[in-house]
Amino acid sequence: MSLGSRGRTAFASGAVLSTSLALFFALAVGAIMFACLGADPLRAYAVMARGALCSGYALGELLVKAAPLILTGLAVALARTMLLWNIGCEGQFVMGATASAGFALYLAPDWPAAALLPATVLVGAAGGALWALIPAGLKNRFRVSEILSSLLLNYVAILYMEHLYYGPWRNPQGFGFPGTATLPQAAWLPTLPGSRAHLGLVLGLGLAAALFVALRRTRWGYEVRVMGLAPKAAAYAGMNLPRQTLTVMALSGALAGLAGMGEVCGVQHLLQDGLAQGYGYQGIIAAFLGRLNPLGVVLAALLLAAVMVGGQGLQVELGLPSSISVILTAALLFGFLAAEGLKGLGPALKTRAAQGGG
Amino acid sequence: MPRSRPPQAPDRTRPVLSCRGVSKAFGEVRANQDIDLDLYPGRVHALVGENGAGKSTLLSILSGRLRPDSGRIEIRGRAVRQLSPARAMAAGLGMVHQRFMLVDSLSVAENLALGAKGVRSPDIRRLAKRYGLDVDPDRMVLDLSMGERQRVEILKILCRDAETLFLDEPTSVLTEPEIRSLFRVLDRLRADGRAILFVTHKLAEISGLADEVSVLRRGRMAARNLPADRDPRDLARLMFGRDTAKAPERQPPSPGRVVIEVESLSGRDSHGREAFRDVSFDLRKGEILALLGVAGNGQAELVQCLTGLARPASGRIRFAGRAGDLAYVPEDRYLTGSVADMTLAENMLLTSGPGSGRLLDLGRARRMAQQAIDEYGISDAHPETRARELSGGNLQKLVLARELARETPLVVLEQPTQGLDLRSSLQVRSAIAGHREASAVLLVTGDTAEALGLADRVAVMFRGRISGTLEAVRGDPGQAETLGRLMAGLGPEAQA
Repeated sequence: MSLGSRGRTAFASGAVLSTSLALFFALAVGAIMFACLGADPLRAYAVMARGALCSGYALGELLVKAAPLILTGLAVALARTMLLWNIGCEGQFVMGATASAGFALYLAPDWPAAALLPATVLVGAAGGALWALIPAGLKNRFRVSEILSSLLLNYVAILYMEHLYYGPWRNPQGFGFPGTATLPQAAWLPTLPGSRAHLGLVLGLGLAAALFVALRRTRWGYEVRVMGLAPKAAAYAGMNLPRQTLTVMALSGALAGLAGMGEVCGVQHLLQDGLAQGYGYQGIIAAFLGRLNPLGVVLAALLLAAVMVGGQGLQVELGLPSSISVILTAALLFGFLAAEGLKGLGPALKTRAAQGGG
Repeated sequence: MPRSRPPQAPDRTRPVLSCRGVSKAFGEVRANQDIDLDLYPGRVHALVGENGAGKSTLLSILSGRLRPDSGRIEIRGRAVRQLSPARAMAAGLGMVHQRFMLVDSLSVAENLALGAKGVRSPDIRRLAKRYGLDVDPDRMVLDLSMGERQRVEILKILCRDAETLFLDEPTSVLTEPEIRSLFRVLDRLRADGRAILFVTHKLAEISGLADEVSVLRRGRMAARNLPADRDPRDLARLMFGRDTAKAPERQPPSPGRVVIEVESLSGRDSHGREAFRDVSFDLRKGEILALLGVAGNGQAELVQCLTGLARPASGRIRFAGRAGDLAYVPEDRYLTGSVADMTLAENMLLTSGPGSGRLLDLGRARRMAQQAIDEYGISDAHPETRARELSGGNLQKLVLARELARETPLVVLEQPTQGLDLRSSLQVRSAIAGHREASAVLLVTGDTAEALGLADRVAVMFRGRISGTLEAVRGDPGQAETLGRLMAGLGPEAQA
């Protein structure tokens, strides 16, 4: 066996190891929590599994949650591949949703479905992309950390959206409730018959595959990876870091914007309270559990969605708070980080042993 | 409270620190071999040697940061086992690093208190006054000049009661007046009975300052405890040797058109300080020009300007070719010249440029990698091997193969054999020599033998200027000496 393939096998088995350690840690934390709340951990997990997987409805709900998570996870993973922190997916999600809704409600309400739906999808992507270009531009021009600017812009985006549906965009027939009118049906994303799972999921899966190929097989993806793995080598090779920062942040924002579009056009069909429920932040967890690999992000998003949907079952069947799923999600991330840390420790210990012998 | 006091009645005839047979190897590179050294109280001991001679390794060992593979270290006649930075400090050894280790956003007094608890401004003022270390304890380190920062570093180890001071290339960051003031400080510290180890590669500096001098060459002590008034030309010979390179035979140059012409170029380093000044040369196709010098004399910044990675402050570069159409083998092959976590095949694509299409030609990359592996005999490697698994020598061969394959009119090589074992060095050198007909080659090196063995002309850089240029003549041992003197800054008489 050549050195190369051995290296890759070690890499892959490392991924499996740290992900299973993360899972084990999360399950252990959850078990302790259930025990503290006076519930039988095994029964609680059984309820969660049933709630997430064992009915057509449950699977549909799982896919509804997975669709935006895949997209925001890809958004974070793509940016992180070139060492950019896009913490602003929540804001880009909101701006994508707002742009789509505004377009379908006010700019092109009379367009035929064949034109309106694709246009609304693109407008959603553009909304997210433009919002993400702000931190990218600030970073290029003034060296502002994109971590802070993208995070702070989340609050701006949410307040702006609220301003719109509390104010100028509020539905006049809405009995005073905050929220826009319902989008024209021509702008709704088709759903899987019998469930709420919508076309956004297919979009996410397709984009994950496209991103996977683009990062490995195109000159563009190669540059993104070199910039992430060896910034000095990227400069040496004459790669244009500022331009790539703009491109990658715009694409990342577009992915998050598509997630927002999916929630508006596929699930809610209007802008209202509860639209921004943290998919942007959970995308960070999906990206890291998926080890920044687009296909890994899909699996991680499905796992997170299962935990969220399963958590709802806890409330219904056992009277436990459904927010337990949030804690489980956090435990997953911590478990993953701990496993990564342990993995780094392995070679260090070996080196130390070798030095001690010398 | 002020803890620092002159060592009590030091016995000046017995060494305060001595090492015997100290050796340290990194893989195949023997950085230190059988080093003996004695430092006496009240004496300034100069340690000279070119880059890679092992000075830094020895200093790291003496300050407890590296553990030697073998050998003995004694402090005041008592053997110390497992010297650690903390133990070295407790035993009165103090190190002034070449790169200052200060917290920029804290005041001088706060920085000193970090190192020695309970030190307050009045104590610092008293200590500073006694040794002429003029610096205001209440100023922020941020606002200090390089010379002032160095004084803070010296104060820091004096606050810890150091009796033995190690100074690593202390003049490299200083201006002329700052250097004179540093020497006055060292004079007072010596008069106080402290032992000082002064590491430098500038021979001109030591005659007025040091009491004795030792010369490190290729990891060994070439001479030990010589009187410091020894003829600097002897020292230069000891430092750089007089051996000519075992380079491959080659034809006399048949220079073609001028490929690059540099006219009174000046430039700055990343801190905005002048790094090189008034550099002029031209280079033709079919010619190898060596830019010889000890690292830190402006070569790195000059190369950055030539390769378009930095802008010169003034002057002109005329390049007969499309901008960026030059191959460049950078000094840092691990982080700059390659991507450690990519495969060898992917690494072959690094500098093939955006003009190579939208899709990666991985098939071509694999063929290129395989060709480099076969041509240079890179063992245990495959195009899908990750670059981090290669040894330094093999990685360098890969980078060199990639760059030479680009067939550019100009090739810039920066320290191409630094840290390589003999076999790899010879392979790399013969590849460079074999490429001479194809393009103009600029070889930046600190190795005199390499420069004389490969180049047609050798230009020496010292303190940012070209201090002399000579045509390389095969088998003339006098040239190595001349170059050694120029590299050590021994003035124009050497050019005769």
